[in-house]
Amino acid sequence: MKTLVSAVAATLLAGLFSTAAYAENLILYTSQPNEDAQATVDAFKAVNPGVEVEWVREGTTKIMAKLMAEIEAGNPVADVLLIADTVTMQRLKEGGHLLPHKSPEAAGYNAALYDADGAYYSTKMITTGIVYNSSAGMKPEGWQDLTKPEAKGLVTMPSPLTSGAALIHAETLAAIPGLGWDYYKALAENGATAAGGNGSVLKAVATGEKAYGMLVDFMAIREKAKGAPVEFVFPVEGVSAVTEPVGILKTAKNVEAARKFVDFLLSEEGQKVAAKMGYIPARNGAALPEGYPARETIKVLPLDAAAAVKNSEADLKTFSGIFGTN
Amino acid sequence: MTRADETARGRSARAPAAAPDAERGSGSNTPDPSRLLSKARRFGRLRFLFGGKEAAESRPPQMTSGKLPAALTRTLRGVELPPMPHATEDGILKARPPRGREGLGFRPRKRRAPSGEPAWLLPFILGAVLLLSVLPLARLAGAGVSGLVDGEAARLVFEAATFAALRNTLLTAAGGMVVSLLFGSLFAFALALTDIRGKLALSFAFMLPMMIPPQVTALAWVEMSGPASPLLKTLGLAPPLGSPQPLYSLSGIALLLGVQHAPLVFLALKAGLAASPRDGIEAARLSGAGPFRVFRDIVVPLSAPGLIAGGAIAFVSGIGNFGIPAILGIPAGIETLPTLIFSRLASFGAATFGEIALISTLIAAISAAGLLVQQRALAGRDYRLIGHSGARAAFSLGRFRIAVEALLLIVLALVLVAPLLALVASSLVPAYGVPLSFNTMSLSAYAEILFRQSITLTALKNSLFLASAAALGLLLVTVPAAYLLTRRKGALANLVAILIEIPYALPGIVLAVAFILTFAAPLPVVGVSLYGTIWIILAAYFSSFLAVSLKPVMSAFAQMDPALEEAARLAGAGFFRRMRDVLLPLIAPAAGASVILVFLIAANELTVSALLWSAGTQTLGVAIFNLDDSGSSDLASALSVLIVLLVIALMAALEFFAKYLPEGVLPWRN
Repeated sequence: MKTLVSAVAATLLAGLFSTAAYAENLILYTSQPNEDAQATVDAFKAVNPGVEVEWVREGTTKIMAKLMAEIEAGNPVADVLLIADTVTMQRLKEGGHLLPHKSPEAAGYNAALYDADGAYYSTKMITTGIVYNSSAGMKPEGWQDLTKPEAKGLVTMPSPLTSGAALIHAETLAAIPGLGWDYYKALAENGATAAGGNGSVLKAVATGEKAYGMLVDFMAIREKAKGAPVEFVFPVEGVSAVTEPVGILKTAKNVEAARKFVDFLLSEEGQKVAAKMGYIPARNGAALPEGYPARETIKVLPLDAAAAVKNSEADLKTFSGIFGTN
Repeated sequence: MTRADETARGRSARAPAAAPDAERGSGSNTPDPSRLLSKARRFGRLRFLFGGKEAAESRPPQMTSGKLPAALTRTLRGVELPPMPHATEDGILKARPPRGREGLGFRPRKRRAPSGEPAWLLPFILGAVLLLSVLPLARLAGAGVSGLVDGEAARLVFEAATFAALRNTLLTAAGGMVVSLLFGSLFAFALALTDIRGKLALSFAFMLPMMIPPQVTALAWVEMSGPASPLLKTLGLAPPLGSPQPLYSLSGIALLLGVQHAPLVFLALKAGLAASPRDGIEAARLSGAGPFRVFRDIVVPLSAPGLIAGGAIAFVSGIGNFGIPAILGIPAGIETLPTLIFSRLASFGAATFGEIALISTLIAAISAAGLLVQQRALAGRDYRLIGHSGARAAFSLGRFRIAVEALLLIVLALVLVAPLLALVASSLVPAYGVPLSFNTMSLSAYAEILFRQSITLTALKNSLFLASAAALGLLLVTVPAAYLLTRRKGALANLVAILIEIPYALPGIVLAVAFILTFAAPLPVVGVSLYGTIWIILAAYFSSFLAVSLKPVMSAFAQMDPALEEAARLAGAGFFRRMRDVLLPLIAPAAGASVILVFLIAANELTVSALLWSAGTQTLGVAIFNLDDSGSSDLASALSVLIVLLVIALMAALEFFAKYLPEGVLPWRN
């Protein structure tokens, strides 16, 4: 198999120079929901007229599979990546796929939020908590509540096979004493399902197919503001967080525009756009959107990033083993 | 119009066609029958050839015939017949050599195939099949073998999960086939053979489910029946919170597969029923056979090939369907082989190619088995009818007519109208779970789709291009292929038929992988890679829909009396001439149906493009799936509603121009 892939890759490299698709466009691969991706791109284009942006959206895991296949074939299409989590970015950096970029905007950020070499920068804070349907019988307060008999068969969560945030969430909870993988086993025994991305969890809970779900904060809070019958809680044990980092690929054909895009996302203007969409901005001192508690009251659980980079594949298998292959 | 009138009109219409020929009959340029036929056709009637009008008054229908129908001789009365091929001086019967060879300086001494097919035909078809089917599949099989050798993939394939997926796939596809056969044959028999009213509208409506992408069908049904269905909430009928969604089950998947593929059965059957011998049925009725006896002894045997063919298409489509089991099965933890492949791909690892290659080999084997059954079933039956003789209202239902009409309308309301209403409702609510009312109604989803999302226009452009290019381009392959396959029997023809069928039977996702492996390398002559362009999707579509395009054309050729072409050949018409004047006019309706079928399926295709798209080459299927996947199913619904409206508008436009189109091109018309 390997030889076949490398043979294909070699021949592709030869043909690489004959295809110059979208030379003048910036190509963005992102895991943001469509509306947010389009709004981000539109805001960027308003500030940088004349740069055309083509964007592609998939769940982080899927967009990575796509990108890795393209890299294997020697023809990565994307210039810029804006995906859920730094763990994936770190793996790309270690694979030598990212282009260092010293952004002047980095001064406004906590040093833990970006890569020291400038390979990637966090743009937001996305925490995963509990969403529940307004007409649900129990009002959950902590993660353990989801294993109670009241929630039997009524819990759903995103699958790490689709969602980057879901993988980080599972890895975070699995490392917390008192939760761990046993917690997930208890959930599975309680009839919890894991399928698709965060979007399908939101849908299942809002439509009442399920009563409780693990979900990223902005989706629940935004949908509630639109009138959906959902509530969101930050569980007492704490929440996991991903930071939606942005990075430039080493193979980018349009580096100039890519640098502009990264700087825009990190700028005060770009952070305002994120907050307007309902995300917690990552920049110091940026105001949280409507519907969130104060920044300092949100308890974020720790994650051993180095272990996560190493164990992702094994963790996916563990998760699939508990919940079946989806 | 009474038959007498029609006959009279037919005669008067034919008279001018025959008269000039009669006058020039003894002249130097003797008319040949094929020219006469094409002339007659221009005057609107070939029917007299086929034991239609006049013959029905005097004769029982001739089912097959070794000689030209008497009607032809009668029609040509007063016309001096052209000299038949006759004994030349050296006493050998010679037909005029085909025109194609006259330009050559020498005459190749090739023994012509008994059917008179040109020498290039078989190599051409074999080449096309090789390129579109064998090559990518061989690449995939190669990857599968390396996967087996690695051992890693083999271990994963023989897991319990794979066997569960296999069982689920077989169960849902078989269940779906039964449902498709029920719905499809109900509508086909009712519309083709009885005197119910509003046939055109019913037929039109029944064709619609096929145009709606499967994932949208699934979404619409879920919207319709869930605890928070905007429709049920608005009506106050919503089930309580946490009620299981009844569709998230094996039977739910089977039901929707059945609904999705029923029009395929309907089309396959209708083609055969339209050609059922009206005069034969009348003769049977006159001899005192009751409607059931006629149905049992004439209609059912004649429609059996169509039933089996339609059932086979439905089964094979069910095996390969991805959209429905993805949306209904994954939340319930039900995996079928296609969704298993998809989730294996999503967790891309070193052994992935080997695994999916192995799983798809399994699917290929199931499909091939199904197709062999179909081939064997059809092999023993050779009903060739002499041309068309529409069986209009062979059965009058009398007082049951209202009941049958109501039944059909109820079925349509359940499988078409209600889900579409649910789709519209869910595109109008401002957020999930909000009941729809005049206060909550919002068009924001439509505004977002039409004026903000750049993906919409891109996807629409790509899908329309891909669908029309695939639909028209495939005809160039499928018409000669169908000709070849109906004329040739034997192992080679069977093999070609199966090789054509397999890419369609395979889940699109596997085909997509096969095409990545095959076409990622730069093309040999131009040195450009197709990967990441729209052309690789088009190539995969060609491969995937070859079978779809072939089926209607194939059944048209199968039902044609070989005597027609034989007569033209004896009169010295070459292959292209026979195609133009005899064969194409007769298969035109089927070819038209084939184009529309491919267009509709390709425009809504998701699985092939799900893996082959890249920035700027998204298709509509990808756009909808992507929108829904990101949690914006209001946007997905809105886009789906727009697509359904567009399709209906296109169909209505075709309907408006129906009188200018050749008869039978529109599948919902008789």
